Amino acid sequence: MPFIPALPPPLTEALLLGVLLAIGALAGAAAQRFRLPAVFGYVLAGFAVGPLMLDFPVRPILTEARVIVDVAVGLVLFELGRRLDLQWLRRDASLWVAALAESALTFVGIAGALIAFGFPWIHSAVAAAIGVSTSPAVVWLVTNDERAQGQVTDRCLNLVAVNTLIGFMLATMLVAAVHLEYQAGWITILLHPMYVLLGSLAVGVTMGVLLPYVAAMLSRRPESHFAIIVAAVLIAVGLAIALKLSVFLALIATGATVRNVPRRFALLEFDLGGGARALYIVLFVVTGAQATWPALQAAGWAALIYVLVRALCKWVGVMLSTPLSPLPWRQNACLGLTLMPMSGMALLLMYDISERYPAFGEELAAVLLAAIVIFDLLGPLVLKFALKRAGDLDR
Amino acid sequence: MLNPFCSAEALTMGVELELQLVNLRDFDLTRGAESLLAALAKSPRADCIKPEITESMIEVNSAVHTSYGSLLRDLDDIRAEICAAAEKLNIGVAGGGAHPFHHWAERRIFPTERFSAISELYGYLAKQFTVFGQHVHIGCASGDAAVQLIHKLAAYVPQFIALAASSPFSQGADTAYASSRLHAVSAFPLSGHMPPVTTYAEFERYYDHMASFGIVRSMKDFYWDIRPKPEYGTLEIRVCDTPLDIETAAAIGAFAQALCAWLAEQPCANGWEDEYHVYGYNRFQACRFGFDAEIVEVGSKRLVSLREQILKALDAIASHAHDLGSGEAIALLRERTAATINGARWMRDCLMREGSLADVVRDMCGLWAKPALDAGAVNGAGAATLAD
Repeated sequence: MPFIPALPPPLTEALLLGVLLAIGALAGAAAQRFRLPAVFGYVLAGFAVGPLMLDFPVRPILTEARVIVDVAVGLVLFELGRRLDLQWLRRDASLWVAALAESALTFVGIAGALIAFGFPWIHSAVAAAIGVSTSPAVVWLVTNDERAQGQVTDRCLNLVAVNTLIGFMLATMLVAAVHLEYQAGWITILLHPMYVLLGSLAVGVTMGVLLPYVAAMLSRRPESHFAIIVAAVLIAVGLAIALKLSVFLALIATGATVRNVPRRFALLEFDLGGGARALYIVLFVVTGAQATWPALQAAGWAALIYVLVRALCKWVGVMLSTPLSPLPWRQNACLGLTLMPMSGMALLLMYDISERYPAFGEELAAVLLAAIVIFDLLGPLVLKFALKRAGDLDR
Repeated sequence: MLNPFCSAEALTMGVELELQLVNLRDFDLTRGAESLLAALAKSPRADCIKPEITESMIEVNSAVHTSYGSLLRDLDDIRAEICAAAEKLNIGVAGGGAHPFHHWAERRIFPTERFSAISELYGYLAKQFTVFGQHVHIGCASGDAAVQLIHKLAAYVPQFIALAASSPFSQGADTAYASSRLHAVSAFPLSGHMPPVTTYAEFERYYDHMASFGIVRSMKDFYWDIRPKPEYGTLEIRVCDTPLDIETAAAIGAFAQALCAWLAEQPCANGWEDEYHVYGYNRFQACRFGFDAEIVEVGSKRLVSLREQILKALDAIASHAHDLGSGEAIALLRERTAATINGARWMRDCLMREGSLADVVRDMCGLWAKPALDAGAVNGAGAATLAD
């Protein structure tokens, strides 16, 4: 019977994604039953199914479904950009001291540790830049799930916006060094990072300036504002891809512009809703799935050192701002802990780089992947613990 | 047992204001009370700033004053302290009787024993009680004087409501009311007005009687519109919404003071109990229509314009107000009344102009953050603040 496919039927991507999503959602619910963050469940589920997926390389999915991933990530970055409150940074010096101190310490600390471990300096620096950003997705999911509200939550989101911006900018600029390593022409070495950096910011700022004007033409209903925001995100993603710019940088710049440019026609708040969440569940499961035992072992001590140094630097960086902070030191200590989750977007950043220079990514992949998985598992737990200690969760 | 009534210097006044704490991102209420109180712990005015039932509110108390000018300066000092601390925490502070679009279920009870007990007992009413009022205390020489003044003031409750009304929106919608806040108070079982006792001894008997049922443990369990406060030696007027600006808050304090001075000299009319027959109707009219209300005048058995009544009262107390040094406050209220301007009107105009309730709250924060004009300059300019 020719209409029946050969057995076993091919495993389609939709089927795989569906199954991963279902497993992730169930694991998330199970985690919440034990009062753990749902994200913890997603990653753990991935970890569990990882060995079964060895025959099915996940990376092509991430590459092929890249537009969807970009839009999902873009929405969260846009939302995060809207949390970057420059006026607050200006009024409260402790905030920018914390932001700069923790970003700088993390970058220098990780780079130093990796160089000491014998990694080439450029690789170490790129890995360190990737470690600067706190995961916007984890912070978004956990603060939403737990209905966190208060000073530590607000400050955490602001710091994450700043360190994500700094992390992406550092990574973008370090691409110059990568060019150098692979002996590109000097024009490329100098101009490519500048082009990406300034181009991405220009796209973001333009979108951010235009968006409120377009929104002002719509009825003031959350759903029509949501539609126009999705449109803006799609256009920014599209422009960034077409112009070979950084999607992430453009999106966070869009959000930050909307937030900080005078807001007479203020955009309404919107709920990212279930759609974005479904995508994130898959992303977290996939991250977990890549962390097979052999992969973690291959990463070895370097990964462990990476995790410890990053955690310490972020916490100490925030604590340095204590004398200036209006918060009691205990709350500031909690704030330092909230920055632990590491950006899974780092994974995509890494893929971007290794796409251009295939040899590059491999050397870092093991260490970074192991670090991301450890932070994906521990980060949400520490984050929730810190928010609870700070008094930002329901009692 | 009810505390004995501590005699206070007659006609001294003090003001309590409950304030809204909002985030500066979408201007919804935020849980900021604990951080703000912690940040203010070392302030010289720390004693005047207290938590309220939910974590999106704080309450400030003025000192005891004899004149409008000193009350205004005092409130302005506290306002400046709070605004400076709130700025660092990125919290907006606003007046107004209710937040225009918050959802009560999102509020959190401030963790003290008393508030937890209230939340336990009253369920959702406790969170819905996230409304913001101004309480005015007027010193009374004796408990008897306080009880009598409270009855005389009953007829003026609609006036206080209309002058302070600033809660036209609730849960994201226009309520059609000038003050929607009072309905949150009316829901409590021991709300309403004081019973028709005529002396403090009678009042003590009433209190003991209620206490014997086991349903009243302190005066705080009575959510009356006007109640005696024996510990302070005052009567407490509780029907006002928190106004949008300091000048109005101080002016309403001064209005209460001058009104009490004048009322103390008026004989107690026969049939004063009649006032309570129309009390609920008049109170509703004032909440619903503000200055445009038509209320029952008990003596003449007619419906009269509340605006006219207020203007009449302002005339009657003018000389007392002058003697007390609050002529400007009375002039400010007269201007507002004649032009039908109160907080509710301002908020509705602001919505028309700006287009969203978030914008309204943003502008309310701006209004609250404005330093008060010197008492001497309030006249005219103060009215302009709200008339803009």
